[in-house]
Amino acid sequence: MNTQNDASISVDNLSVRYPGSDEYVLDGATVEIDAGEFVAVIGKNGSGKTTLCKSFNGLIPHFYDGSFDGRVTVGGIDTADATVSQLSEHVGYVFQEFDNQLVSPTVSDEVAFGPINHGLEDYRERVARALSLLNLDGIEDRFLWELSGGQKHLVALAAVLSLDPSILVVDEPAAQLDPVHAGETYDHLAALNHEQGMTIVAIEHQTEFIAEYCDSVVLVEDGRVAWKAPVERALNRLEDLRRNDIQPPQITRTAAKISDTNERLPIGFDEGCRWFRNVLDSTTMHSPSVTVADAGENLPVRDNKRTPLIRLSSVSHTYPTLRGEDKQVLDALDLAVYSGDRVALVGSNGAGKSTILELLTGLKTPTEGTVSITDTDTATTLPERIADDVVYVPQNPESMFVKDSIRADIAHYLQSRDLEDVAARTDDVVSFLDLEALEDRDGRLLSVGQQRRASLAIGVATAPSIILLDEPTGSLDLASRMEIGRTISRAGERVETVIMATHDLELAAEWANRILVLDNGEILMDGPPKTVFAATDVLAEANLEPPQVVRLSEELGCTSVALSTDELVSHLTSERPTASTGASHQ
Amino acid sequence: MTALDSLRDAASVDAVTTDLLRTAYDNDGSFLHRLDPRVLLLWYVVFLFVPWLFYEMDVLLALFVFVSVLAVLSRVSVYLIAIMAFSVVTSLTSYAIVTAFTGDPIAAIQALLPFTVKVTIISISSLAVFSSMSPKTLARGLLSLGVPRQFTFVIAYGYRMLPVLFQEYHELVNALRLRSAVPDSPGRFRWRYYRYLLKLSMKAFYPMIFNVAKRSRVTVEAMEARGFSSSLDSDASRELQLEGMEIRPGDVVFFCGSLIYVAIVASVL
Repeated sequence: MNTQNDASISVDNLSVRYPGSDEYVLDGATVEIDAGEFVAVIGKNGSGKTTLCKSFNGLIPHFYDGSFDGRVTVGGIDTADATVSQLSEHVGYVFQEFDNQLVSPTVSDEVAFGPINHGLEDYRERVARALSLLNLDGIEDRFLWELSGGQKHLVALAAVLSLDPSILVVDEPAAQLDPVHAGETYDHLAALNHEQGMTIVAIEHQTEFIAEYCDSVVLVEDGRVAWKAPVERALNRLEDLRRNDIQPPQITRTAAKISDTNERLPIGFDEGCRWFRNVLDSTTMHSPSVTVADAGENLPVRDNKRTPLIRLSSVSHTYPTLRGEDKQVLDALDLAVYSGDRVALVGSNGAGKSTILELLTGLKTPTEGTVSITDTDTATTLPERIADDVVYVPQNPESMFVKDSIRADIAHYLQSRDLEDVAARTDDVVSFLDLEALEDRDGRLLSVGQQRRASLAIGVATAPSIILLDEPTGSLDLASRMEIGRTISRAGERVETVIMATHDLELAAEWANRILVLDNGEILMDGPPKTVFAATDVLAEANLEPPQVVRLSEELGCTSVALSTDELVSHLTSERPTASTGASHQ
Repeated sequence: MTALDSLRDAASVDAVTTDLLRTAYDNDGSFLHRLDPRVLLLWYVVFLFVPWLFYEMDVLLALFVFVSVLAVLSRVSVYLIAIMAFSVVTSLTSYAIVTAFTGDPIAAIQALLPFTVKVTIISISSLAVFSSMSPKTLARGLLSLGVPRQFTFVIAYGYRMLPVLFQEYHELVNALRLRSAVPDSPGRFRWRYYRYLLKLSMKAFYPMIFNVAKRSRVTVEAMEARGFSSSLDSDASRELQLEGMEIRPGDVVFFCGSLIYVAIVASVL
């Protein structure tokens, strides 16, 4: 039952050390979370934020050996004295790898798992209530493997809601879901928080979600809780955030570049729009609607007589489903990619992005149409031969680790092709991507961020001419995201084109010179970033939300959208000398 | 060559996964599905023994027809049938080859035929019974017969993990292929190429087990975070899991009908 006084969390001087390690993951962490709060927990990869949250439902200390000191009280219960199973009626936990959390074949079985374990006779009503809270009515009998990632995440959430917990912990929802689905999950969490008074703790590194949904922020740094602050103040501590590899919201970063006082900066989008209008009104800066010239951006020069590197001609792709029907992923798609293109494939989950990349590796061949790479038909060529030129780094980096050390994984391709200087070339890649400390570790035991970096190393070591990356920034924090561009540039002079499927539109805006908007297996739009991001109706149709700077520059009436904070700042500040003329032209 | 290719297509990961999942879960339309799992398990135990009571080929063939009809009604997976047929044929062939050196192979096969038919009858009835019960039904049946929940849960969960295992394996094989070199000349019937694929599929095996073991750590935590261990010695939870199981007239008719059929066959033939 949800009684308000039941739902607070108190952590007092908690220290945790995992077995086999001398370092404390948590070293004297202390924090109070009040009933009914919506809290974000932030921190670097490996700072101990997941460990902290696993202490709320007793997984720590009950499920880990190692040392445990301090005291965690949840709703008045000392977690050291209660079992995880007992605590499960108070604290719901949705794991980051939520796919592994699902244990039953069908949705209704999964949601009923908790109530049946506890012998609750009203389990049917609980299942119905949990599903309807999340608008999942109607999918009770579906098999879990038929659901999309977003739906699975909601089912994992429903499966803990059916126990009616007063506290809910959600680990990195935005890391595994596309922004639209992550937004939906957050909408549901906000509703549970407001309507049911549920205490919600979200581990999150995307500050734009934190700004929109959370009340307060807990920063975990070096095993301690550095501070807990209301969200407006927390996201204004830009130094602290950057030191911990947390990217503040784009709107806050842009405002910080303009503001020269110590005033509080805006953190949310609407607030930001008001703030920028105020600044524009009150200073000599004016809306840059006319004077900002379009950069005249175009696609790289095309020589029409030259053949494209990659050509897809009326490609359709289908796959069979359990119910005996075929599902169409791509529908008569035509695409030509030329040397020099940096392509970002954007679109919601299921739009066909990954399928296009897999078709280019030759691992899949199209149901209809042809895919050719430098005039070679992939249908008649073995994937191993295509891999001489093409490298593919899949979304799940885990599958790239087949050896027992990162170094052996990097060398595998070079060795299998009997190339020279394997050791030297491997050293080269290892040192460039700062993998020295990890090179002897087993890739499968690294954190997700480290795995991503290692998988890129394995990819660039093949000296490819075409690079295919599937969601390279998924669950990466700031520092690691910066490395993606660096890594690609490192891949060598052979690289002619890079194609990246991504949800990270900020990265797409800053990195790509060509953006393909996909929806339901069709290309809705194909063009340079400015043109694509100016087409708000197309993006909306594809369920995409442009980065904040793009939306802000539109709100402020720029004729050409800004793609980065620097660009927007230069739009706004370059106005200063010609402010009066700029305004009069309007 | 093309025959090999089409065989490879038919045995593609997607096709096998879909078929096995259909066998496990899509059994609403199958005849045996409507029966109570306890009756079905009892029937199965009886039919494990029945073939051994007879020696006449006629009776055995009649039993074979009977279980085959049940298998068809249960819509058993073609892959499972193919695997079984393959093993029956190869075992008979291997008898023939061995006995060719020691004496009369025809006589040996004739002597071994009843035994093979008996084993085949049991195999087919296993296929029919287990593919018409969803893992959940089977788990409930075993639980009500007193098998501990830890064990029955593993059955349901293991089947749930099958598609995940396939997916994982498929991804690993693909990742390996993209980083390996194919033999320069495939050789007659592309044997070098197939040897290469075989080696590769073995190499992918250990990483798959490793990855799955890693995942199960999260699964165990997640189960406990939803009270799994509370269910182990709670009568209330056990009752909820066994809710709605009852033996209906149809179950009795099926069970007795099968025995009557056996009796008639045995006395007439």
